[in-house]
Amino acid sequence: MPRSSEHAESRAVLPASVALHARPAGTLVRAACAFDASISVAANGKRANAKSILDVLKLGATGGTEVAFSASGLDAAAAVALLSELVAALR
Amino acid sequence: MSRGTGLVSIVLVSHSAALARGIAELAAQVAGLEVAIVPIGGNGVSGVDSSQVLSALRETAGRGHGVVLMDLGSSVIAVRAALTELDADERARLRAVDAPFVEGAIAAAVIAATGASVAAVASAAEDARYASKL
Repeated sequence: MPRSSEHAESRAVLPASVALHARPAGTLVRAACAFDASISVAANGKRANAKSILDVLKLGATGGTEVAFSASGLDAAAAVALLSELVAALR
Repeated sequence: MSRGTGLVSIVLVSHSAALARGIAELAAQVAGLEVAIVPIGGNGVSGVDSSQVLSALRETAGRGHGVVLMDLGSSVIAVRAALTELDADERARLRAVDAPFVEGAIAAAVIAATGASVAAVASAAEDARYASKL
């Protein structure tokens, strides 16, 4: 039984010229996979497993969309912080 | 014996070389350039050349581990035939997976890029069957 785990959230806005497709989505998913926490990313009222490329691609998040990360687990805070920074820096 | 990045390779076997190459390009966009993605395909009419498949599998096993995806029937036959030509050690490094060709390749490539084991990459490919897209 795990010790009580953190829960953390963060938000970021996709740059106007960057939709969350192919390359940006792949960058995000690979970064998420480095964390132990379970992580979800939400956009446009839909939620996806941030560690699943097919799930993330299904969000169809276009440039300028706000995305929200939510994570549970020992490194949840670090995960949501890094992922939001990553989103804001996508090109 | 095995060189390279240590990441699991992805071998794509299709009736169509153009299709395999196209998926390989897309997978490289999503997974980055460190994962070896090997497209093998025929001319879209007569199916894939089994000696090409054998070379690719042998090379992949020589580099480390690999997951093999196939598009349709005769690609599966070609891969099965090639696997019987490999030695036991080579065969043990490869997993032919029952996965949707495009979605499985993309899912597998991304997971491979994270340094996952061949078992995890194979599962990612197979689980793609259950992912909805609409």
